[in-house]
Amino acid sequence: MRRLMKTIHIKKGYLPRLAGVPADTLKPLPPPGRVAACPARIPFIKPRLRVKKGDHVQVGTLLYEDKQDSRFQFLSPGGGRVEDIRLGPRRRVEAIVIALSPDEKRVAFPELSKLQLETISRPDLVERLCTGGIWPLIRALPFRDIADPDTVPPAIFISMDNQEPFQVPADIYLKGNEDLFEFGLHVLKRLSDKIYIAGAKSGRAGQPDAGRWANLTYTGKYPAGDPGVLLYHLKNTPDENNSWFITGQDVLMVARLLKNGRYPTRRVIAVGGSAAGDACHVQTRLGAPIAHLMDPVPDATTTRYVAGGVFHGHTVTPDDFIGLYETALTVLPEGNEKEFLALFNPGWRKPTYSRIYLSALNPADLPANCNRHGDERACIACMHCADVCPVDILPQLAYKAILAGEVEEALAHGLLDCVECGICTCVCPSKIELTETLKTARAAYRKEQRCG
Amino acid sequence: MNRIKRFFDTQRPRFSSGGKLEKWYPFFEAMETVFFASDQVTGRQGPHIRDSLDLKRYLATVLLILMPLFFFGVYNAGYQALRAAGIPVDFWPVILAGARIVLPIVLVSYGVGFAWEILFAAVRQHPISEGLFLTAMLFPLTLPPTTPLWQVALGISFGIVLGKEIFGGTGRNFLNPALTGRAFLYFAYPAQMTGDTVWIALNGIKETAVDAITAATPLVVAAATHTAGTVEKSLTGAGYTVSTLFFGLYPDSIGASSTLLCLIGAILLMLMGIASYRIIFGDILGVLATGFFLNLLATPASPPYMTLNPFYHLIMGGTAFGFAFMSTDPVSAPDLHTARWIYGFAIGSLTVLIRVFNPAFPEGIMLAILFMNVLAPLLDHITLRFRLKKRVPNV
Repeated sequence: MRRLMKTIHIKKGYLPRLAGVPADTLKPLPPPGRVAACPARIPFIKPRLRVKKGDHVQVGTLLYEDKQDSRFQFLSPGGGRVEDIRLGPRRRVEAIVIALSPDEKRVAFPELSKLQLETISRPDLVERLCTGGIWPLIRALPFRDIADPDTVPPAIFISMDNQEPFQVPADIYLKGNEDLFEFGLHVLKRLSDKIYIAGAKSGRAGQPDAGRWANLTYTGKYPAGDPGVLLYHLKNTPDENNSWFITGQDVLMVARLLKNGRYPTRRVIAVGGSAAGDACHVQTRLGAPIAHLMDPVPDATTTRYVAGGVFHGHTVTPDDFIGLYETALTVLPEGNEKEFLALFNPGWRKPTYSRIYLSALNPADLPANCNRHGDERACIACMHCADVCPVDILPQLAYKAILAGEVEEALAHGLLDCVECGICTCVCPSKIELTETLKTARAAYRKEQRCG
Repeated sequence: MNRIKRFFDTQRPRFSSGGKLEKWYPFFEAMETVFFASDQVTGRQGPHIRDSLDLKRYLATVLLILMPLFFFGVYNAGYQALRAAGIPVDFWPVILAGARIVLPIVLVSYGVGFAWEILFAAVRQHPISEGLFLTAMLFPLTLPPTTPLWQVALGISFGIVLGKEIFGGTGRNFLNPALTGRAFLYFAYPAQMTGDTVWIALNGIKETAVDAITAATPLVVAAATHTAGTVEKSLTGAGYTVSTLFFGLYPDSIGASSTLLCLIGAILLMLMGIASYRIIFGDILGVLATGFFLNLLATPASPPYMTLNPFYHLIMGGTAFGFAFMSTDPVSAPDLHTARWIYGFAIGSLTVLIRVFNPAFPEGIMLAILFMNVLAPLLDHITLRFRLKKRVPNV
């Protein structure tokens, strides 16, 4: 079969060269003592708990579902006893902690052979993914919420790689799972006529680029591989905006559920960052504790742990757990001290997008910390944000439109094309929360659409 | 380092809420951040890392690039004063004389500008914006060394208050504050400011007035030439050879005379990505295109100024300084890249047109930039319309 390969060149974007790149090794970790599901880190859902403290659960028992659509079900990543249900402010469910018992039991789901996959009806397939707790892994553009099971998407994007520092490269999570991945692709092909399997054009040195599957390759810096960015550069009509996407590692989850009839709990997590003692990839359980992933655990007062990447991720504590969507743990110095004479530092080792520091001439990977490096100021139209925006939004103008309450104008600027990659905020010398403002406006617009 | 830290730590309670000087916290904060960077960290949601660059560093870099122009301005002011007084021009006496002329002007500019900024910061409870430190340096560099200090104070006050603060401070102004102050003096005190005659400060040097003081500036020489095609010759005749104009050792406003230093500054600003190369190249293209066009149109009956080689426009007067440091102010320029090309081109073009055709104003660059500052939002609006049309709509 002749395969059509398309390559997109994405010119804008920004990837700071950060120190602490995870080694290519995959380290299997011993089983953790407890795992958890973290409803608070699933955007847009309103969780309804289906278990209470002290209940015994199996791997695959329903823990909670979305109040707005009960087909969005979230299953237990472990077998044992519900040890704790952690509540945050306003009784938000932060985590459902399960103490694992030595003999974990698993809920049995119907198995699906490759032959049955060809004949099963689409609604039945969707039904199996929903009850199997895997459906939430398929998300929809432009809001990046869980896909609507009743619709047929114009296309599904499978992101094999993610250039955000630091994520698991395709060849590491795919190794030994090629057949499973193939099966997962067949499943997704039943959901949409058009499947884009997107991989970076130049894979890492010595590695096959995005395997033998990619039918869409791209060049460019972070976030070139983001499905939203690829869609923006591919689309010709507004209908294509509602495409779905799923990550390569989650395709394996889909395949494991349907092929093996068991709720999948295996996860490969990239542990990186300049403060991570041992930067490498680890194979562990879904919902593993943060502290379990690091050896040794760096000091919490001077270190920030980020679950899910430097740009997208959430700050977590070592007591927290890795969420459903997170396959990376980045450990960075907090940077909460006052740097002496920083204003006059030539900056040979200061990471920056601009060319104002000497680091513009320094080819090395630089240690970044979480200091904001300055106070918030008014926008001076330096255009850094517009020069990095991968979907050609003028973030500073969209931001001003949002602050002025001009939603229509913000939409015309491409508010819904925003992929929330965070680089506009990152490069802003005025330290304006551009991404946050756009993200909040997008969420408000989504809410308005759903209610109206 | 520890001693400085201790000093700030002991002063902090006075300025924090509840302290006696609570209202002046912005002043304390501005002083502390000169020595110690902020310890604030990013939020719990991404992005967790931020660029090392902030506005302080951004503008401090421009200030650093302005320093050679400042020192040259000191030297030039002293040099012209001593020469006019008939005193031998040795290096140290020149520097000393120059410093006595220029430093008071710069200090008054900073003092008065900073006072306004602190006042607005205290009343409005916003941090002191770094833009002031740049404005207060740019403004005196555009002034003649003969400017009385009360005029300096008046000009910087107008520039800071009406050019910037009443609109909300740096980032929200639509005019370049330094040029606004300069334009105010230009129109309020035309006798001293328009540049009909050269400016040589003689304060502190024995009053032995010589002819040079009443000589005309290059712009006036060029405008007053009577025969087509001889403008360059009359400039050379008045002592303004190409190399004099390029290196800048002639009586002019304090910091704007040296085309060479402005060129170096512009190149540095563009290499560092601070100044938009689109504006600067647009400026230069505008001057050259308009200049050549006027050359083509020139007839024996038209003003001879039209026949001037357009490259002269780039080295005469304040063009180079205005292009490198004034037109590239990103706040008062349009945002969009395409609009910036048009903006630059229009500034260059208007500069030449005002110089050649307007007998009232020998210099055109200041007015051209201010005029285009006013038109910048319109340029943005139009370019934006074309740009947004290309997007595939979402809704």
